[in-house]
Amino acid sequence: MSMMKREEWYDLTRTTNWTPKYVSEDELFPEEMSGARGIPMAEWDTYDEPYKVTYSEYVETQREKDAGIYSVKAALSRSKFMDGIDPGWESTMQAHYGAVALAEYAASIAETRMARFAKAPGNRNMATYGMLDENRHGQHQLYFPHTYTERSRQWDWAWKANHTNEWAAVAGKNFFDDVMLTRDAVTTSIMLTFSFETGFTNMQFLGLAADAAETGDHTFASLISSIQTDESRHAQQGGPSLKILIANGKKKEAQEMVDLSIWKAWRLFSVLTGPIMDYYTPVAHRKQSFKEFMEEWIVAQFERQLLDIGLDLPWYWDEFIADIADRHHAMHLGVWYWRPTAWWNPAAGAGKAERAWLEEKYPGWNDTYGKCWDVITDNILNDRKDLTLPETLPAICHTGFIPLVTTPNKKRAAGKLVDYQLEYEGRLYHFNSEVDKWVFETDPERYKGVMNAVDHFLAGHIDPPDLGGALTWMGLSPGEMGDDAHNYAWAEDFRK
Amino acid sequence: MALFPLFSLFEDDFVIQVLPVDTEDTMDEVAQKCAYHTVERRQVARPDEVLRVQRHSNGELFPRDMKVQDAGLLPTETIDVVYEKKKD
Repeated sequence: MSMMKREEWYDLTRTTNWTPKYVSEDELFPEEMSGARGIPMAEWDTYDEPYKVTYSEYVETQREKDAGIYSVKAALSRSKFMDGIDPGWESTMQAHYGAVALAEYAASIAETRMARFAKAPGNRNMATYGMLDENRHGQHQLYFPHTYTERSRQWDWAWKANHTNEWAAVAGKNFFDDVMLTRDAVTTSIMLTFSFETGFTNMQFLGLAADAAETGDHTFASLISSIQTDESRHAQQGGPSLKILIANGKKKEAQEMVDLSIWKAWRLFSVLTGPIMDYYTPVAHRKQSFKEFMEEWIVAQFERQLLDIGLDLPWYWDEFIADIADRHHAMHLGVWYWRPTAWWNPAAGAGKAERAWLEEKYPGWNDTYGKCWDVITDNILNDRKDLTLPETLPAICHTGFIPLVTTPNKKRAAGKLVDYQLEYEGRLYHFNSEVDKWVFETDPERYKGVMNAVDHFLAGHIDPPDLGGALTWMGLSPGEMGDDAHNYAWAEDFRK
Repeated sequence: MALFPLFSLFEDDFVIQVLPVDTEDTMDEVAQKCAYHTVERRQVARPDEVLRVQRHSNGELFPRDMKVQDAGLLPTETIDVVYEKKKD
């Protein structure tokens, strides 16, 4: 008996929208879980995933991928690579694993929701593979860093971070809870796969893979490149959902989903990925600047995809474009200054060679951020490290869950604020931009109860109410709290 | 006397910070408390200049001897601490 070709049976076998007999369609696909928005089942039947795969093909491919990364890991585990690595790169990996590993597990739950509740059979099929993908990513990104836990307790934060109140972990949880764990299947397909995975995981995984290869970290490069091949497949679930929404008169809702989730993803990446690329990665091994990566992988990609699909560019696009050249510098300065609150050792990246690179990539850096680093550098050289450490908390945005920042030593444009404040039901909320405030205002009932670290501090949940109490509350013990990755050696470049 | 939390942005600094003050503090005292967390940390000192406090949202400048409790500020409201502009 000859085998039929896949394309001859694929569409038929995944056409599984049978007519339910024992329950109603609404009971089978509750609106709060499915999010069909009144669009009839027949329309969801037209969902056409661009990347088609069968289970047997999936298993075969995944097996080959796992064999590939484990063989690289086994071959290189005997090398002394980590002993000779720049401390900034070790920090990069610690930050990455802590921020990503358990979020991948959580993404498996989001995929499971689509696999069960999406009304589109094609979405359910793809999400089943996505669910398996994310489980794989979680396991690998726990197993690989576990190899290094003997080096320092900071490596253990790959597992620990998401179980703590540490601010960066909470910012990540806030984002992922919002876009993938508390949304219906259709919204999840758009916010998680279209907005976040299409652009931003490309950034994290391909961008970092390039830097890893340049640094000589082939284990990390092969791992995250392997993960990205899964991401680029299951990231294609959102596009067909958007097309169905637009074809059925729901463009406004679709646009809002995209606008909101791109912005929130950007906020998270500005604090986690920006500093890694432009400050932690040794300057000789930087493939491109963060801004260049953003322009190539995010801006160009989204502009093309959004217009192709029939959506508009987000209403804040001009502000976004300006932000990608600036915001992560402030985030880096903040993470470094508040370094005991991080589970990794931030690399200042402010020696002479690094500053020359920053000024070349970001003209004007020396006159803005550089002036702050001048004061910090002088304090280090004058044995006043106490002045390079914080004695209070930064105020935190209620949308991005990251500090309220601005470009230092630069006059703000007329009418531009750093804190857009909103009093809602007797509580004052703080937002770092009009866009952050707009996110809240799209659904105040959804967002009004949020509590960031400062809210907990002011509510008396941190005892004693000082920085030491905050570190304990965040789960940071000695040996885990961040310190300068290079033990301040970079400042010696400037000793006269 | 009561503890009163404000958020504050010092001139030319990059971040808004949490600033616990007292309701009896004057605006000059508030400015000094804010400066403690920025000056000589990320900004050089400008000892000969006068610091003023203004409401972040609309730039309303508070009198230097005004007490926090009389300023009509909300808990956690953001203030700017700025160098007084020199008269020509």
